[in-house]
Amino acid sequence: MINIHRLSFKWHTQQTIPTLTIPSLVIEPGEHVFLHGPSGCGKSTLLSLLAGINKPSSGSLCVLNTNLAHLSNRKRDAFRSDHIGYIFQNFNLLPYLSPLENVMLGCQFSKSRQQKALQQSSSLEQEAARLLSALGLTTEHHQQSVANLSIGQQQRVAAARAFIGSPELIIADEPTSALDANNRSAFIELLFAQANIAGSTLVFVSHDESLQTLFNRSISLMDITEQAV
Amino acid sequence: MILIKLAYKSLLNRRGSAFLTLFTIAISVMLLLSIERVRVDAKSSFSNTISGTDLIVGARTGDIQLLLSSVFRIGHTNNGVSWQSYQYIKQQRGVAWTIPLSLGDSHKGHAVLGTNTDYFSHYKYGKKQTLAFSEGTAFSHLNEVVIGSEIAISLGYALGDEIIISHGMGNTSFHHHDDNPFTVIGILNATGTPVDKTLHVPLAAIELMHGVGHSEHEHEHEHEHEHEQHENLTGEPKQITAFLMGFDSPLYTLQVRRNINQYKPEALLAIMPGVTLRELWEMLSIVEKILLLFSSIVVLVSLLGMLTTLLASLSQRRRELAILRSVGARPWHLFSLISIESLLITLLGCILGCGLFYGLMSVAAGFLQSHAGISITIAMLSDYELGLISAIMAAGFIVGLIPATRAYFYSLADGMSIKI
Repeated sequence: MINIHRLSFKWHTQQTIPTLTIPSLVIEPGEHVFLHGPSGCGKSTLLSLLAGINKPSSGSLCVLNTNLAHLSNRKRDAFRSDHIGYIFQNFNLLPYLSPLENVMLGCQFSKSRQQKALQQSSSLEQEAARLLSALGLTTEHHQQSVANLSIGQQQRVAAARAFIGSPELIIADEPTSALDANNRSAFIELLFAQANIAGSTLVFVSHDESLQTLFNRSISLMDITEQAV
Repeated sequence: MILIKLAYKSLLNRRGSAFLTLFTIAISVMLLLSIERVRVDAKSSFSNTISGTDLIVGARTGDIQLLLSSVFRIGHTNNGVSWQSYQYIKQQRGVAWTIPLSLGDSHKGHAVLGTNTDYFSHYKYGKKQTLAFSEGTAFSHLNEVVIGSEIAISLGYALGDEIIISHGMGNTSFHHHDDNPFTVIGILNATGTPVDKTLHVPLAAIELMHGVGHSEHEHEHEHEHEHEQHENLTGEPKQITAFLMGFDSPLYTLQVRRNINQYKPEALLAIMPGVTLRELWEMLSIVEKILLLFSSIVVLVSLLGMLTTLLASLSQRRRELAILRSVGARPWHLFSLISIESLLITLLGCILGCGLFYGLMSVAAGFLQSHAGISITIAMLSDYELGLISAIMAAGFIVGLIPATRAYFYSLADGMSIKI
């Protein structure tokens, strides 16, 4: 699913020491990976590379057997919209769209995800509603203003948006940091359930190592990176 | 399509500031359209002040001065045209009609014009319309007066009222001809020209008031023969201020004009009113340009207001841009999103502005007609006005490119990391 080989990344070409260097990392399809590390160890940088926002300076970064290092900006944007669902830390939703519209937004920029969503349900709206319900958001919340939802409910909407159109890779960037402990594990269970149904690989990033036990694989970014000394 | 929907919903979400921005644009569009419509209509009203008259003849002075004094009743001509010269020129070949004009007296600050009944049949304004009476008829006695519509309204005169004429212009004239009261016999329809503000009396009456004409009056008026009436009402004054001429064919105009300008016994000037009106309007064109300049600046300021609003909101919307990036929007999608927002605001602003413009025009049309003599046409937008609106739309689009470009670079720099 993800295959990283001798990856290094610099913000500027003049930079002498790379911001991030990963000799090797392999994540198999369907894995639920917990990626942790202290602040500033390069988690955000790695995620921006995985999501195709930034491009590796050297080495290869293959997602779904596509080397993102060789794709143009435009193709990486298209790749992201087709194959990656992204969940932010918090404030994930566009305030002027309803929860349902926020979920549909997940496949508005990708034809292939729209088609996949339409294989599940007869319309995008129905698929969005199905996902919201599956993630525990009752129909009465589907149309109400995003501002009236609790943080936990908002994160479920964000998760539904990441899952619509069954992307192969789900990246969750500290999605539970604003949730309390009960909500946290419930939310992660829901993520697992959906990821299993959709057959998606889940990369879950957090600095909270207590969550680690829930995952079948845990990677410490400190262990896999080559730290500049 | 999704971008238009997003732009619309995003604006709706910020409806407070978006509406204020839209409203300032609407006001500026209304202002620009109104000023331009009034300007264009004022120009046509102005050039329609007199029509169908081929020449205006007066004592030698400036072209514009003669036009101002004879048609607009502004200023004085110190000299007049002697009756002999008038009689001579009147008999030239090709002359269809002449209207003698004698100015210099006033009633409560309004010009009193001594003339004959030819005035009511040959004087034309606008698109060669003759004067029409809303009430009463033309004068047929020496002590009768025909008043313009505005005089009737502002001074509250009705048929049968008696009025006193003063010597000289202005309210403060010392010399009132109180021994010669005039009876209102006719009220003219509104024309939107200085005729509305004029009192018309028989030419002979002017001379009579001043005690220089022959004192023949009060004769048989039952006589239906018009020519007879003219003789009586015209009298034989020593001189008149000016006279209007119409020819059988416009071909005579230039030749007669030259003859008059070279007329030996007296220094005279003949002008073609259309040409001189145009010259006069050219002199006023600086005012026109300043008006256009100011209303354009108002439009510009309103667009800069939009720029400020969009730029200010943009820094608060970097999270929104990051979310859109995360679902696969490319930087140029975000560029388009902001451009569409600015276009939407400008478009709705223009539409609302047109609505306000028509509202204002329908309210102000009556006022402008009665107070400024400008007849406003409440018609569809002209090509020129549509051009103005397109220019505003284009300017709005160009202004919107600034925040759009900034959104583009934000999205490149921020990626999906959220910076607030």
